[in-house]
Amino acid sequence: MSDRDPDVIARKCPRCRSTTIDTRATSPVAGVWILFACSTCLYVWRSTEPEENRDPDRYPNAFRLIPQDLAVLPILPAIQSRPGQLDAE
Amino acid sequence: MRTYQDLREFLAVLEQQGQLLRITDEVSLEPDLGAAACALTQLGEASPAIQFSNIAGYQNARVVLNVHGSWPNHALALGMDRDASPRDQFQRFVDGYSQYPGEFRRVKDAPWQEIVVEDDVNLYDLMPLFRLNRGDGGHFLDKACAVSRDPDAPDNDDVENVGIYRLQVKGPNRLGILAVPQHDIAIHLAHAERRGEDLPVAIALGTDPIVTLMAATPMLYDQLEYRMAGALQGEPYQVVATEKRLDVPWGSEYVLEGRMLAGQRELEGPFGEFPGYYSGCHRYPVIEIDRVSHRKDPIYDAVYVGRPWTEIDYLQAMTTSAPIYAQVSADFPEVSAVNALYTHGLVVIVSTKTRYGGFAKAVGLRVLTTTHGLGYAKVVIVVDDNVDPFDLKQVMWAISVKVNPDHDVMSLPNLSVNPLDPAGQPTGVANKMIIDATTPIAPDVRGDYGQELDTPQGTDEWRTRLASLIKDLR
Repeated sequence: MSDRDPDVIARKCPRCRSTTIDTRATSPVAGVWILFACSTCLYVWRSTEPEENRDPDRYPNAFRLIPQDLAVLPILPAIQSRPGQLDAE
Repeated sequence: MRTYQDLREFLAVLEQQGQLLRITDEVSLEPDLGAAACALTQLGEASPAIQFSNIAGYQNARVVLNVHGSWPNHALALGMDRDASPRDQFQRFVDGYSQYPGEFRRVKDAPWQEIVVEDDVNLYDLMPLFRLNRGDGGHFLDKACAVSRDPDAPDNDDVENVGIYRLQVKGPNRLGILAVPQHDIAIHLAHAERRGEDLPVAIALGTDPIVTLMAATPMLYDQLEYRMAGALQGEPYQVVATEKRLDVPWGSEYVLEGRMLAGQRELEGPFGEFPGYYSGCHRYPVIEIDRVSHRKDPIYDAVYVGRPWTEIDYLQAMTTSAPIYAQVSADFPEVSAVNALYTHGLVVIVSTKTRYGGFAKAVGLRVLTTTHGLGYAKVVIVVDDNVDPFDLKQVMWAISVKVNPDHDVMSLPNLSVNPLDPAGQPTGVANKMIIDATTPIAPDVRGDYGQELDTPQGTDEWRTRLASLIKDLR
C-alpha cells in the first residue's frame, strides 16, 4: 500500500492533521465518492477532490489549522446569559 | 412588473431569453461546479445562469449557479427588459423602495411541502453539497433565506427577519451560521438566549429571484423583507407559515426547520468572502435541523463568491445602492443616484447637483454617516448630476479633469469599517476618503471650466432610434 493510497490519506485530517476522522457520507449512487470529516477542526473532504484538499502532505500551508488554536478563536456574537446569571464568555 | 412565483418560473424565462446554460455532461462536485461558476463571471457582464443536471454520485440532483449573475439576469429578476441599463435598474429599485410597505399574503399550501423528512435528517443525502473555493473549510449554503422572529415580540410581523447568512454544513443535521452582532438574526438570538431558549429558524433555499434580493438588502430592524418584496413587485408577496409561525417564501425548493442553539458557539470557516479574501475562522452560533421539506427533484441554488466581480456582487449591488440613496437624498434632494456596486459599497459613487462651492464634500460626508456607510463606504467619489455614476467611463473622466488633489481629496482618520475589509488597521478601523470630482463653483472658484462639451443637436433622438435598430439586428 503506497502513501498515496486513499485509505492511508483518510487516516489524518488534511487541515489539522488530527486522527479524529470518520466517514461522513457516501454518494447516493453507490461507489462514486466518500465524504470524510474531522471532528477536531470540522473540515470535510471528498475522495474525488483535487489532491490539495484531501492529502495532508499537499494541503496548502495557508489554510492549515493547529488544534490547540481552535479553543481561543473569537466568539461572535457574545453569548447572552439569562438575567441573574453571570455573563457567559 | 413581471413577477415570478418560484425559481423554476424564473429559470424558464432565463432560458427563453438565452440566459440559462444547461450542462448535461457529467460533472464532479469539486472542482467543476465552483470552477464553472467562477469562469462564467470572467465572461463579461451578460453571463447566463448555469444548470447542472448530471452530477457524479447523484441520481437526479440539479444545481443552479449564477442565477442573478449578470445585468440581464438582474434586470429580468426585477421584471425589466434584459437590456435595461444599471442606472435604470437602480431607479427601478429606488421606486420600489419608496413604496414600502407593500403587502404579503399567507397561503396554506406550497409545492415545497410535497416531500417531508423528519426522521434522521441527513442533508448530505438531500442536497448536492460542495466546496466552492479550495480554502473553504467545507460546504456552505450561501444563498438561502434564514427566517426568524423576535422572541420578545413574537406577534410583530415587522420585526420578523429574512436574511442571507452563510451557513456551513457541519453534520447531517447541523449548521454553523455567520451572524455578527449587527445582523437582525443576532438580535433575535440574543433575546432568545436571555430567555434561556433556543431560537426557531426556517431556512428557504431555491426561492423566487426577488426575495433573494430583499434578503440581501440592509433594511431597518422593523422593516419586513416580504413587505419590501410586495412593494417592489406591486402585488402581495406569497408566504406559507411553518408550525413555528415562521413565514417562508411560497416558491422555495427546500425549507429547513430547526433551532439556533442557545449558548453554543462553534468553529466555523473559513469561507472565501465578498472582499476577495478568505474570512478566517471564528466561533459562531449553531443550528440544528429537525425537518426538511422539499419539492420533488429539488433544484439546489448557490452563489459563487470569489475575487470581484462574481454573482454576489450583483446580489449586493442595487440592494446596497438604493438604501444609501434613500437616506442621503432625504437630507440632500440634489442627489440623483448612488452607485455602491463595488465590494458591497466599500467604494461609493454619488452624483449630485451642487448648491455652492464645497457642497459636494458635505454630500460625501453624509454618505459616510448612512447606516451602511458607517461600516462600508471607505472611498466616496462625488460627481456632478450630469455624470452617470454607473458608467465608470464617465466617472473616470470626471476624476481626470475635475480633481485637483490639493483641494478635492479629503482623508478622514480612524473611522469604522467592516471587519472583513483587509485594510483595517486595526481590524474594523480605517481612514476614509472623499474625492470631490464635481465642477468647482463659487465661492470655490478655481481651474478653468468655462467651455464643457455637450452633444450635437438631435443626439437624444438618434440614440433612441439607433438603439431600436440595433436591437432588431439580433
